[in-house]
Amino acid sequence: MENLGYLLAAYAVIWAVVFGYILAMQRKQRRLQRQIDRLQKSADTPETNS
Amino acid sequence: MLAKIIAILWKDMLTEFRTREIIVSVFVFALLVMVIFSFAFGTGVDITESIAPGILWVALTFGGVTGLNRIFAVEKENSRLEGLMLCPVDRAVIYWGKLAASFTFMMAVAIVVTPIFLALFNLPLFLPGLALIIVLASLGFAAVGTLFSALAVNTRARDIMLPILFLPVVVPVIIAAVKATAPVLAGRPWADMLIWLQILIAFDIIYVVIATLVFGFVVEE
Amino acid sequence: MNGRHNLRDSILLGLGVVLMMAALFMVFVYVPTEKHTGIVQRIFYFHVPVAWVSFLAFFVTFIASIIYLWKREIKWDAVACASAEVGVIFTTLVLITGPIWAKPTWGIWWTWDARLTTSLVLWLIYLAYLLVRRLASEPSQGARYGAVIGIVGFIDVPIVFLTVNLWRTQHPTAIVFEGGLTTPMLLTLLVCIAAFTVLYVLLVVQSARLKSMEADIKYIRSIVQGE
Repeated sequence: MENLGYLLAAYAVIWAVVFGYILAMQRKQRRLQRQIDRLQKSADTPETNS
Repeated sequence: MLAKIIAILWKDMLTEFRTREIIVSVFVFALLVMVIFSFAFGTGVDITESIAPGILWVALTFGGVTGLNRIFAVEKENSRLEGLMLCPVDRAVIYWGKLAASFTFMMAVAIVVTPIFLALFNLPLFLPGLALIIVLASLGFAAVGTLFSALAVNTRARDIMLPILFLPVVVPVIIAAVKATAPVLAGRPWADMLIWLQILIAFDIIYVVIATLVFGFVVEE
Repeated sequence: MNGRHNLRDSILLGLGVVLMMAALFMVFVYVPTEKHTGIVQRIFYFHVPVAWVSFLAFFVTFIASIIYLWKREIKWDAVACASAEVGVIFTTLVLITGPIWAKPTWGIWWTWDARLTTSLVLWLIYLAYLLVRRLASEPSQGARYGAVIGIVGFIDVPIVFLTVNLWRTQHPTAIVFEGGLTTPMLLTLLVCIAAFTVLYVLLVVQSARLKSMEADIKYIRSIVQGE
């Protein structure tokens, strides 16, 4: 069981990075959704300034 | 068409000759690189033999990248880029004109820096093999550098963008040039460096062709 | 249209989960420990597929870049960029897991062998790709420049590999992957390659969709705010 640390480190890095990317994408999706909501609102309410 | 290429080349050379700003600073920079590396690595005989080719090519590479950056930066700064693009010439012709200018520039730097290098390291001054390597490598640098310079000049971090793009792509040129230079400096037969020359030639052909094809996409409006 | 999308997505996700579970099982339970180097060798079963898939990713970027320059449809640019991002991430993993495997196995963190060096150069090229896209003065220019780099950079790959290979065979390294692959090892490797390929597809599809969405939103915004 020597070098178990190395084995675990390698796999931990892989999963950490992959999930990190997935998390980043989730945050981006939420941000985009907020933008869509805002656009929706501004499209629904009639603009009162010329 | 050849006339147009020469026209662009001539214009660039005239501009540069009148101001001499780029070429002189690149000379000085390349020489400085050589000197600093010599200090960094020490000057024992065995060290210089193994390191010398590397020092020459680091100097030429960094000098080259600094200068190539200016090839299009000058145009951009003087807003001549739009004017150039308005000319009814095929984009490929513009590329070839700039390529010729870049190549001439790199050769000019090499012609000054190399003899000084050879003298500093007590190597023979007449080395046709080395001249051939320099021609081929300069062409490779110019082919990639001209394309990426046109691209980098339009980005926000234009000064650092060219080296970042350029250096990884020309890694094969650097490796081949250094490996080909070593036997030449040691006075070994040309057969030793043949394979590296082949790599340089292949790289040059591939990249000149590719760059010619995609240059239009970089400068389109 | 949406319905078909969802079905395809679910199938892909299901397939990915199953393959990854199978891969984990095979790597940690099924395949026997390698005699010479011990359990650390199991890193190989993820390190190699990740490397393969990163090449696949940059190849996809290459093709998508060509199509984008030809058709100028945003979706191709989104695919090219997403694939390059995932490619950079996977290449980063190659460059990290490689040394982690090498240190206990051969005693060194790094070696300039052809594959690892090519991965390093590739990493640098596509980092530049992502930087240029970010630093371009406007998105359409970023897409165009990215496409050019995606094409030019990919062509460099075989040249770099061959050159470094030649360079290194003149200085034989101490690294020799002794012995071939036994059948269980080969099977495990193949399952892992399949698992990571599906993972790649999942990540790229998701990322490309987000980028397309982003571009659409920008476009709609510009219209709305233009009024």
